[in-house]
Amino acid sequence: MAHGPWWVVGPSIGLLVVGLLWTLNKPLGALGGWVDVAAWLRAPRTAPSWRVMFLGGVVLGGLVHALATGHLVMGFANAPLAAHLGGSAVGVAVASVAAGGAIGFGARIAGGCTSGHAISGTALGSPASFVACGTFMTVAVGTAHAIAWLTGGV
Amino acid sequence: MRTALIGLAFGTAFGALLAWGGMSDPAVIEDMLLFRSVDLFLLMGSAMAVAGVGARILRRARARSLVGGTEIEWTSTRPTTAHVGGSALFGIGWAVSLTCPGPLAAQIGSGNAAAVATGLGVLGGIFLAGWWRARATAARTSTAMGAAAIGL
Repeated sequence: MAHGPWWVVGPSIGLLVVGLLWTLNKPLGALGGWVDVAAWLRAPRTAPSWRVMFLGGVVLGGLVHALATGHLVMGFANAPLAAHLGGSAVGVAVASVAAGGAIGFGARIAGGCTSGHAISGTALGSPASFVACGTFMTVAVGTAHAIAWLTGGV
Repeated sequence: MRTALIGLAFGTAFGALLAWGGMSDPAVIEDMLLFRSVDLFLLMGSAMAVAGVGARILRRARARSLVGGTEIEWTSTRPTTAHVGGSALFGIGWAVSLTCPGPLAAQIGSGNAAAVATGLGVLGGIFLAGWWRARATAARTSTAMGAAAIGL
């Protein structure tokens, strides 16, 4: 599938960060949406926060892109992870939930994810975001190389 | 209501850009983490640069938010061990699933059930973090009370 060039997509995402700051005076970050969804699930009678709506929008944006490019998945797809696990669908499901748990727990404790810390937080000059970004980039690169080595990919 | 709709609009644009840029494609994330391609690093770097310059222009111009009219500002946080430990765990989850909270939502929109599984894990992890933090706070409080009781 052809992707948009980085020099269009990257600056556009940067403009979204600026736009959200200008309209709502809020930093852009996807984790906050998940945190508010988790809170909303415990109190479903309350109105969803703007961050829940933001995350809903990300889902919608993914749908719009899939429909526009004709790449609607409608299935269970994570080819690289499936390849690491020898094609086991159960393995992919278990690994996905477990990895999701590490992502949710870790990012919640660290106060942000790739968008919140590595794009917004560093752009706004927050020292904690530089530490968080440096840590998860290093660990993710190391883990990916370890997985590739263990599965004979590199 | 207006705030919710603005959130939805920004989210939709963000989700479409993540998908268009390839960030919701696990193979693209793997190519990034294995240094097979530098495109995603350039993408993130350019997003950071544009956001950083734009935000400072807003602050220097003493711009006020279009909704609410508050002065544009943001907080700066000092790093703690939680930022390191939490991010290390996050990095492992990211490298295994080859997705993270934003792209994950865009993948769900594209109809990918694997992303739904990862998303359920994320919600579980967030609940667990809430419980863990509450317990840590309670432990600190009881330690302090114990110390006070024996005259420390």
